[in-house]
Amino acid sequence: MASSSDVTSSADNFPENPESGSGSEASGTTDGPARRGRVRARRAAVMAVPATLVAGALAVLTAEGALGVQFAISGMPFTVTATELNGTGFEQFGGLDEMAPGSPNAGDTGGQVLVVTSAIKSATLTKLCQSVDLGGTNLLITAGSGAEKVSASDLTTDSTELSGDAAFTNIEIGNDASTLTKAGVKGPIGVFSQQADTVRIANLRQTNYATTAGVFKLPGLKLRFSSTGC
Amino acid sequence: MSERAGFRSAFRRWRADRPFWGGLLLALGGAEVLLTMKASMKVMLHAGMQGLAGYLLPTLMVLLGVLILFNPAQRLFYSITGVLVTLGTWLTSNLGGFFVGLLLGVVGSSLAFGWLPDQAPRERRRRRRKEAAAAVVAAQQAGEPA
Repeated sequence: MASSSDVTSSADNFPENPESGSGSEASGTTDGPARRGRVRARRAAVMAVPATLVAGALAVLTAEGALGVQFAISGMPFTVTATELNGTGFEQFGGLDEMAPGSPNAGDTGGQVLVVTSAIKSATLTKLCQSVDLGGTNLLITAGSGAEKVSASDLTTDSTELSGDAAFTNIEIGNDASTLTKAGVKGPIGVFSQQADTVRIANLRQTNYATTAGVFKLPGLKLRFSSTGC
Repeated sequence: MSERAGFRSAFRRWRADRPFWGGLLLALGGAEVLLTMKASMKVMLHAGMQGLAGYLLPTLMVLLGVLILFNPAQRLFYSITGVLVTLGTWLTSNLGGFFVGLLLGVVGSSLAFGWLPDQAPRERRRRRRKEAAAAVVAAQQAGEPA
């Protein structure tokens, strides 16, 4: 850059070159009077290269499980499976999820889905697999298949289907959903609910309509498109 | 600046005055991230501040993209903020809208950052190139008789 600026300044010091001066004006007018701005590749690269590096670093850190990421999905059904889920602070209650008005996913449900809301204060999952059906192809997210497990905190899911082999400790069944204390989430008043100190679910399979997690740590993250779901 | 004031030519002129694709891609990226979120507000409020950040960052992406289009003079600040916010959505918003919105946002911010209006430096460089060519021609002409 230094050398080019030198050349530029020396070029400026040649006003006594009439031929080249008129030539440049002529070429200037052929470019059209409406002067267009344009993207300079090198200037764009000044931002694009570091940004790509940072994005790559974020992806690597997430895949190593060093960095937690937040999830909040809803409106379209997606499936979550895991070979084992261990959680502390578990709550579950029924509810109604409303879709956005005119949502194409509404179908004949009238835009409302009856869901079971499960909230877990902190959870670890082995061999997490999450798939969203995008119509023909599935977006597949897998993580935690190695030695390190997926961990999630403040995990809240609205499920239409939940299956697995569950074991609870200190379970309280039949509470009012508005009196729940174990996971810090309160349901609507007058709704049946249950809560437990710890939960362990083997061969978990959920069909969810919404999920949020305070922080997900996803060691061994893989994100890909696939013809089959989880 | 001819008087053919058709909508298309007016739009083209408007587009030439600003980093159009950069702003558009950044705004689209933000919209895509928001689309993948659209979690019900009730659930979001459970998540508290962290949940709000998941909405805040993509909304900022859309705003910055629109601002780049309508206030191109400040494009450097908008694009630098835009790329940082875009990278932040990886953490807060579904891996940056499952990577698609993140990609759009980074490309858009970079395009906006690299955009320059056609102005002095470019013409100077063109003149420099012309002069270099003229010097070569002059050298050849000087060389031929000898």
